[in-house]
Amino acid sequence: MAHPRSFSKTSMAANHNHNYRHRRGSTRTMPYSIAMVSDFFFPAPGGVESHIYQLSTKLIDRGHKVIVITHAYDGRTGVRYLTNGLKVYHVPFFVIYRASTFPTVFSFFPIFRNIILREEIEIVHGHASLSSFCHEAILHARTMGKRTVFTDHSLFGFADAGSILTNKLLKFTLSDVDHVICVSHTCKENTVLRASLDPLMVSVIPNAVVAENFRPLHHPSYGTEFGNHPLPQLIGPHDTITIVVISRLFYNKGTDLLVAAIPRILASHPNVRFIIAGSGPKAIDLEQMLERNVLQDRVEMLGPVRHEEVRDVMVRGHIYLHPSLTEAFGTVIVEAASCGLYVVCTQVGGIPEVLPAHMTVFAKPEEDDLVAATGRAIAALRANKVRTEKFHDQVKMMYSWTDVAKRTERVYDGISGSLSEADFYGYEAADAASWSATRGRAGVHSFALIDRLKRYYGCGIWAGKLFCLCVVIDYLIFMFLEFWAPRDAIDIARNWPKKPRENLMAGDDSSYK
Amino acid sequence: MVPNQAHAATSNTSALHPPGKQPPSYTRSATAPNLGPHSHASNRTLLAPEDAIYQGSPPQRQAPAVKKAQNELRMTAGLGVPRGRSKTRHRSSSRKRKVTWSKLLWVKQSYPDNYTDQTTFLEHLQRNPRLQPYDFWPLVADSTVIVQHVCSVVIFIVCFIGIVQDRISSVAVVGWGSFATFLGWVLWDMWIGQDDIVPKPLPHQATPSPPYYSTVSAASSTSNLGLGLHTSSTHPLPGRHSHSHSASASSLHSAASQTNSQQSPRLAPNFPGVTTSTLSPRTSLRLATAKSALLIYFTLLGLSPILKSLTRSTSPDSIWAMSFLLFTINIFFFDYKTPEPSSGNKNIPASLSTNAALMASTVLASRLPSTGQVFSLTLFSIEVFGLFPVFRRYAKRRTWRGHVTLTTLLVLGASGGVGLCLGHGGDGEGILDFPWKAGLTGVFVGVVSTGVAMGGCSWWLIGLQKYKNEIHGPWDPARPIIRRHWDDY
Repeated sequence: MAHPRSFSKTSMAANHNHNYRHRRGSTRTMPYSIAMVSDFFFPAPGGVESHIYQLSTKLIDRGHKVIVITHAYDGRTGVRYLTNGLKVYHVPFFVIYRASTFPTVFSFFPIFRNIILREEIEIVHGHASLSSFCHEAILHARTMGKRTVFTDHSLFGFADAGSILTNKLLKFTLSDVDHVICVSHTCKENTVLRASLDPLMVSVIPNAVVAENFRPLHHPSYGTEFGNHPLPQLIGPHDTITIVVISRLFYNKGTDLLVAAIPRILASHPNVRFIIAGSGPKAIDLEQMLERNVLQDRVEMLGPVRHEEVRDVMVRGHIYLHPSLTEAFGTVIVEAASCGLYVVCTQVGGIPEVLPAHMTVFAKPEEDDLVAATGRAIAALRANKVRTEKFHDQVKMMYSWTDVAKRTERVYDGISGSLSEADFYGYEAADAASWSATRGRAGVHSFALIDRLKRYYGCGIWAGKLFCLCVVIDYLIFMFLEFWAPRDAIDIARNWPKKPRENLMAGDDSSYK
Repeated sequence: MVPNQAHAATSNTSALHPPGKQPPSYTRSATAPNLGPHSHASNRTLLAPEDAIYQGSPPQRQAPAVKKAQNELRMTAGLGVPRGRSKTRHRSSSRKRKVTWSKLLWVKQSYPDNYTDQTTFLEHLQRNPRLQPYDFWPLVADSTVIVQHVCSVVIFIVCFIGIVQDRISSVAVVGWGSFATFLGWVLWDMWIGQDDIVPKPLPHQATPSPPYYSTVSAASSTSNLGLGLHTSSTHPLPGRHSHSHSASASSLHSAASQTNSQQSPRLAPNFPGVTTSTLSPRTSLRLATAKSALLIYFTLLGLSPILKSLTRSTSPDSIWAMSFLLFTINIFFFDYKTPEPSSGNKNIPASLSTNAALMASTVLASRLPSTGQVFSLTLFSIEVFGLFPVFRRYAKRRTWRGHVTLTTLLVLGASGGVGLCLGHGGDGEGILDFPWKAGLTGVFVGVVSTGVAMGGCSWWLIGLQKYKNEIHGPWDPARPIIRRHWDDY
């Protein structure tokens, strides 16, 4: 729990952090060639997509070579280059549901091998547990003797049939992954349980926001059309307070709570307005509620907004209300805080870890508590107790993609052995004998087929044998491909010209765009 | 390469931790899964991920006092390490851990990203939070509900076979069935009267008042076969009634218009002008029941010639397979639970089950040769599948003794009927032959096998309990608590 003095603590911690990283940074020897693999990438909108893009851009800024492998979208096939020389392979594949490809265990292998060899990839980094592309890529990469990392962006339960199937699949892939990255500590706990992983193999690296894209309406460091000295926005007792809600209107985003809470909030606070952006199956409930209570003049429904427009909607309000029922990280509340909004959110999933207490009011996922929390937030704003104008700079210090890229780089260091295992895993030397059997030198997974089979075999009575079969077949396909399409017959792609070194050092968040 | 070679001999990880305030982080030996029996380290007190799959692990929740005591133990163990070693340990420790690790993302912490805090990791995990261990005899007692339903289905099929094989007349079947239904209704009416006289203060004892609503909804029932369904549509009503927190049975004296006002407005137009009649509510309800019964009687009478030729073009094999399937659906989707007074359920599975059974009986009835038989079997099916479950449910709540008696009678009837259908007797063969031999054998076999099945299944279910491993934690989608139900409108 944060308290008013928590910021001094933060800076102290940041110093430690800096020393720590600096020492580590010297151990890195060479830039890596990384392939990000996921079903989800531009042009599709979404959190995973922008995560991959931002992380790749920042890694390129740090001197690495990054390519993205995804499936072909409508109007996007072949090879594309994005800003900063980020190369994107759109592999033609059959899409079944919401941009997820059909899970064929082996059919991706030939073209994947070709890309990996052509681009001289060393590390394969898969994203999103619902992407079959990513799972296949991790399996094939291990067969080809590449290091693999997996980033999990979502939470799954253990109860329903769909989750059980996904968890089994995840267990299969993650039996032989080198490292896993989760976006929050709750997500880490979940992933460790779902895939029976060793917790030390799982790092927590949060998402980040591009703070420049989410700046408040008036901010000294950007300048405004009204001059450089914005008036402090004091809210009087009778000024209108606008509450913004931006979310897809689905059940798990808590739209039912919203529908129940809005009339009560509006009834007890006369000078309050709502702006709701987003679409989804629950939009009809929301509209029915508006009509039943005749609230059309106090609640504005904007419909779907593009990601670029989110900031423009957010800066129209004072409070951001986030009634979600499950959330791994909750990037949107960081974006809202960055825009200088006071955040009211439900205390679910990873949300309590994301923002300090002075920026948020937490509510239980109950109608009554949500109404009460919103009331507290309105009262605090009216009393001008909340310094929302400072939020932007604070958020900018907390989350940046450069930091995410640095921390991801340390994971790459760890799995490729340039960071010693004692440093990376923090293990006690006494235990080395007990576990190095399945790990080779420097704390990395051994690539020997028999060791891999041992790891897969532990997945379950039937599943273990099935997984072993898959791995063996994968290995045979690999052998066949080596014979059929020899390595020396595959051309090596030319790299995008790298930035000069000094430019690289200055590469920070501000250089983006 | 490895800085801590000096401690390679020490295997007790807890002794290695410096005597600081920080909780020790996970070590490889404590966390690496699937590496042999020692991975379930004996000195590990908190839950590790492999516990989620490992069956015999101890419960993970501990009282804070216990944890504290263990932390103290750990600290003393750390102090017990010779001083020189702990010094080297300090020197070789690569991380300065001055700030306590906290489970936050916005704070930049001096711990590596894969640091796992042993005291907070998975502390919110709950395993089997709503586990209720079953007892044997209550489970057997609860299984009587299923036995009753299966037996009534069996009795219906036996009656059909009897009619098809011309062993019993269809008029006898429907006559006895109607007589039993009438008896049940009288009993019901009597119970309702008793409930009215003795008001019960507690809401959960409040009995439902089906006749108040049943006839009303029957008159406008949207269900395909009104009488069969109108009483079953009364199940949600007790729930609604007590939901309004005025569930004492004395309020049932009030006129239907009052309860009407407590209902959701959608039901309002369905109510006929009960309040305008000069009769007492109960008498008018009885009249309405009789009216709807007559209505359905004559509707069925008119429909039975059509039903008779309904499946003439279908081969008998398809009919048997289809009716078997439909009866299976009926048994599996039947709403066996005793309705809670507070549950405003919508009974979708129950109506699926009832519809399946009525369709099966319609299909079977269409195989019969004469119109009278078709009519009898359809009416009988409405009595068995529409009205009888309602009565059974109510009777179970009223008298446990009556419930057990009813179960016994049903088991006897069903097993005897099956015996008569399958076997033969009284045809003069053998010494031990007597007219009711097949029936008695059936009764004997049926009773024994029912008893064994009830006991065996209960025992089996209790045995399966140990495999229950439900994991809950903060990653589960929260269940929103909403006071007003908008979808009721």
